[in-house]
Order: sequence, then structure tokens, then C-alpha cells
Amino acid sequence: MNGRISDNAGILVMLIAVQSLCAAFFLWDVIEDIRPGGMASLTNLHIAVEAAAALALVSAIVFETRYLMRLMQRKAHLESQVSIAAGAFHEIMLAHFDAWGLTPSENDVALFAIKGLPIAEIARLRGSAEGTVKSQLNAVYRKAGVSGRGGLLGVLIDELVAGPLVEAGRET
Amino acid sequence: MKEFKVWDPFVRVFHWSLVAGFAANAFFTDDESALHEWIGYAVLALVALRLLWGLIGPATARFASFLPGPHAVMGQITDIATHRHRTHLGHSPLGALMIVNLLATMIAIGVTGYMMTTNAFWGVDWVEEAHEMLVTWAEVSVVVHIAAVVWESRRTGVNLARAMITGRKRLPEDVNIAS
Repeated sequence: MNGRISDNAGILVMLIAVQSLCAAFFLWDVIEDIRPGGMASLTNLHIAVEAAAALALVSAIVFETRYLMRLMQRKAHLESQVSIAAGAFHEIMLAHFDAWGLTPSENDVALFAIKGLPIAEIARLRGSAEGTVKSQLNAVYRKAGVSGRGGLLGVLIDELVAGPLVEAGRET
Repeated sequence: MKEFKVWDPFVRVFHWSLVAGFAANAFFTDDESALHEWIGYAVLALVALRLLWGLIGPATARFASFLPGPHAVMGQITDIATHRHRTHLGHSPLGALMIVNLLATMIAIGVTGYMMTTNAFWGVDWVEEAHEMLVTWAEVSVVVHIAAVVWESRRTGVNLARAMITGRKRLPEDVNIAS
């Protein structure tokens, strides 16, 4: 699983790089086309279609970059997970994080907290102040609707032993 | 704040001379003038010295110390994705890729520029086209470079532009240093 994710990420990085080159070229081309006549040139069907295609490519790159960021977050967390049980727990955890709408920082902090790391250690690993980690953790608890680390763990364990995997926010 | 000496004087003088030389030729000098040619040769000479310095210079200037493998590149992207504050004392992996790109582009611009002055290639269309496209490519790269420096400075809390002037990186207490 881990191997697959890192392969995907590498390919995705290449893909984004190549598509960015193409997008830069097409955008430059569109700008050169528009320059002589101003925005009025966009009424020319050919130029308008060209501009639309270039913008579509740019939005695809934005989407891919966001997807890459998600993939790298997962990869960062899955590195030490080898057993199937750990993998399943991880899936549940990430699905919940998605559903709660955690930011990338909160996501990372929550994971370290669930692994049982003390706040000082989390701060060291993330290169941030302990106060920052505390407020990020509080945001996680608030979004999850629990009062602390134990509650957070409880929600996730419940899911693991009780029923089907949550579907919300799953994408891979 | 902790301070680390990272860029030696040659690296800094090289960086800002390259900025001056490229900006002069891209925006100010007459393309047909002797001055344009001489600045072009000066830029080529600068890049040649930088390549030499990359072999014999101090640690942070040496290519062997900063040309990144895929693992290092993915590591930096992971830091960005997880919002972890980790910084590199020398060039960061993605920054190093930009350096390679810019050095190669400068060489290609210089070579195509020189070709235009030779009898064999004088007035040949593709050489001139290539020269101009490479300059556009370099301009796009410079914009990306500046945007990335601003963005990385904000992300890691280390003022990278200042470091390229003073030679010293000032790191916030909390930030981790990537080996």
C-alpha cells in the first residue's frame, strides 16, 4: 500500500510538472493572441476556445496539486503502518478527518496525538511552538465533538469494532 | 532566533550579478548592440565560474551537497502538504531544481546568442527563435523563483531573500533543520 502511494505521488509530481510547462506555453500563446486586439479578441471563436482550453488545463493542475497534497499527507502518515489492522484503522481515521474538515496542520497534529505522542514531541516534530500545537489540538477536539484525546480515540475505535467503514470523504 | 552562515561571498556576488546581467539584457540593452553581446559573455563567464565553484567551493555551494534525489524532493513536498516547519540550511531540494533550470537556461541563451554572431548561423531563424523563447522561459522561471522564495520564507519563517544578501539564515527557534 505504502509503495503504491509513493509511486503514485512521484508520477503525479512529474505529471504536474509537465502539464505546468504545457499550460505556461498555452497561456503565453493566448496572451500573445490577445495582446494586439485587447480583450475584444476573445470574441474571436478560435481565440476564445484556445483561452478556455488553457484555463481548463490550469484548473486541472490546481486540482491535481490539491490531490497530491492529500496523497502526501496520507503517505506521511502511512510510512510506519504495515499491518492490515493498522491500515484499516488508518483508513477510518483519515475518513473521519476528512468528514470533520480538519486542516492539513490539524490532520497531522491529530495523528501524532492518536499515536500517543506528548505535545512537546509533536511540537518538535512539526517545528512549531507548543502553544500552536495545543490550539490546533483543541480545534481538532472541537470539530470532532469530543473533550480530549481519549474521546478522540474512542470515536475511532467505536467505528472500527462496530460497523462498516465510513464513506464520507473517501476518494482512493 | 538562531543564525547560520550559509552563503559565501562568491555565491552572493554571483547571484546578484546574474540578476543584474540578465535584467540588463532582457529589458534594457539594445539587442543588436555590442553591449548586449558583452553582457551576454559576462553572464556566460559568471555561470562557468559558478559551475567551477560548485565543484571546489565550500559545502553549501557544492553541487554534491545540494543536488536532490527524488526522496528529498518528495520530503519537501510532504512538509508542505502537512504544514510541518522544516527548513534546509543550504538550498532546499525544490530550490536546487530551480538552480539547475536557471543555470542551464542561461547557458542555452548564451550559446544561441553567440551563434547569432557567427557566420554559420547569422540570420538563421531557428537560432533567433530559440534565443527568444529561452529568454521567455527564463523570465517565467524567475517569476516562479521569486514567488517560491516569498512563499517558502513565509512557510518556514526564514527570510530567504535576506540570507542571499547577508549570507546568514536566521531560523526561528521552533523550526526543524533538515539534514
